[in-house]
Amino acid sequence: MDLDTVKARAGPRQFSPKDDMPEEYRKAATRMIQFHANSEVMGGYLDKAFTRMAPSLDRKLACTAKTQDEIGHAQLLYRAAETLGVKTREEMLDELERGDGKFLNCFHYPVSSWYEAPMIDFFVDGGAMRRQATLKSTSWEPYAHAMDKVCFEEGFHVKHGEDILRELMRSSKANQERTQEVFDTWWPRILQFFGPMNSESTHNDFAQQVGLKTVSNSELRQAFLNAYIPKAEKYGLEIPDEPRIEYDEENGQYRVVEEDLDWDEFWTIAKNDYEGSYEQIGSRRQRHEAVSWVREAMDGWEQSSAGTTPQAAD
Amino acid sequence: MIWEVFRQEKPGKYHQHCGNVHAPDRDMALMFAQIQHGRRMQTNSLWVVPRDEIGEVDTEDAKFGGTTDKAYRWAMTYNNVDASFAAEVEESEDEQREAAKKREAAKKQEEAQS
Repeated sequence: MDLDTVKARAGPRQFSPKDDMPEEYRKAATRMIQFHANSEVMGGYLDKAFTRMAPSLDRKLACTAKTQDEIGHAQLLYRAAETLGVKTREEMLDELERGDGKFLNCFHYPVSSWYEAPMIDFFVDGGAMRRQATLKSTSWEPYAHAMDKVCFEEGFHVKHGEDILRELMRSSKANQERTQEVFDTWWPRILQFFGPMNSESTHNDFAQQVGLKTVSNSELRQAFLNAYIPKAEKYGLEIPDEPRIEYDEENGQYRVVEEDLDWDEFWTIAKNDYEGSYEQIGSRRQRHEAVSWVREAMDGWEQSSAGTTPQAAD
Repeated sequence: MIWEVFRQEKPGKYHQHCGNVHAPDRDMALMFAQIQHGRRMQTNSLWVVPRDEIGEVDTEDAKFGGTTDKAYRWAMTYNNVDASFAAEVEESEDEQREAAKKREAAKKQEEAQS
């Protein structure tokens, strides 16, 4: 299939491994799904920290379940990316380990307190879920399929995140103040989650033309702000004065003043070159290596019964 | 030789187990599957799998970790907060509620049969 045909036919779940797709499409789709899969891994590892900090057994169970879900989502997505025939799952995991794999800005910041749990589990996950819901109509069918399962599970994550925020903001004054403090720190990062404001990202146009993406970053940001600013306010969080956000009553749109955000930091993160990037990628690598004996034991088992063991499904 | 048969109703849906056929080889198994399981029901595609190739977690083992109350896993549990502010969160919760209903109905049916 040539590129013009792809653009003409582009629509929800239009293309599958049965179609002969041009290299440009396969590369763009791989880049996008790999980024998404990497983000699930790094988000899962980040989330794992909250299990220990969680104040009750119920919360600990929910945090463990959530971490497990995220790693499962990563597996689904690496499978969906593999079907494009550009990179294998192992290659993508190697790239992530080496520090070459790219992932969401918010997962480059290590967390150190329970107050940060709702920042990730409610705001960041809420933003991610908004985007993922639109990806159910992506043109690469295996990707859309993965989104069905991911979105099915995400509702629990976002509601659990909101429940933590509610609990903290309805408890002691000290808890409320600490939650506000971390919100001040996280808010600009959350605003950058959807990328730069005015100029659309480089890959966006092509991704929309071939139906990989159905909604632009700006539209997603608007929808997110419309839903989540009232939520933050409802629980008594104050939206920081900077970055400035202007609300246009006429068209019901928020405008974030772009210069107020730290784009140097954003682009350093995009290159995995921020200090938090090294910490997050490094700590994940160490934890991954620490359990290499499990993978080796499993490989050994498979080889010892070679020929009869079907490929493991994950 | 026994072949387990999986039917897919519509494109994009999962293949679901629907029964089995006796056949000496794959081609015959596919033909029998088509005759016995594909014709009466709406079918988009069929799979046949040799029974020996199927792995199983039996009832005893499936119970491991399965008896804990897993309410913490479902959006419906967190009913101090309301999902209606975001369509995608609400939709996810609806899907989970629907799945819970199906699990409940299947459990009741199973109990009635035993």
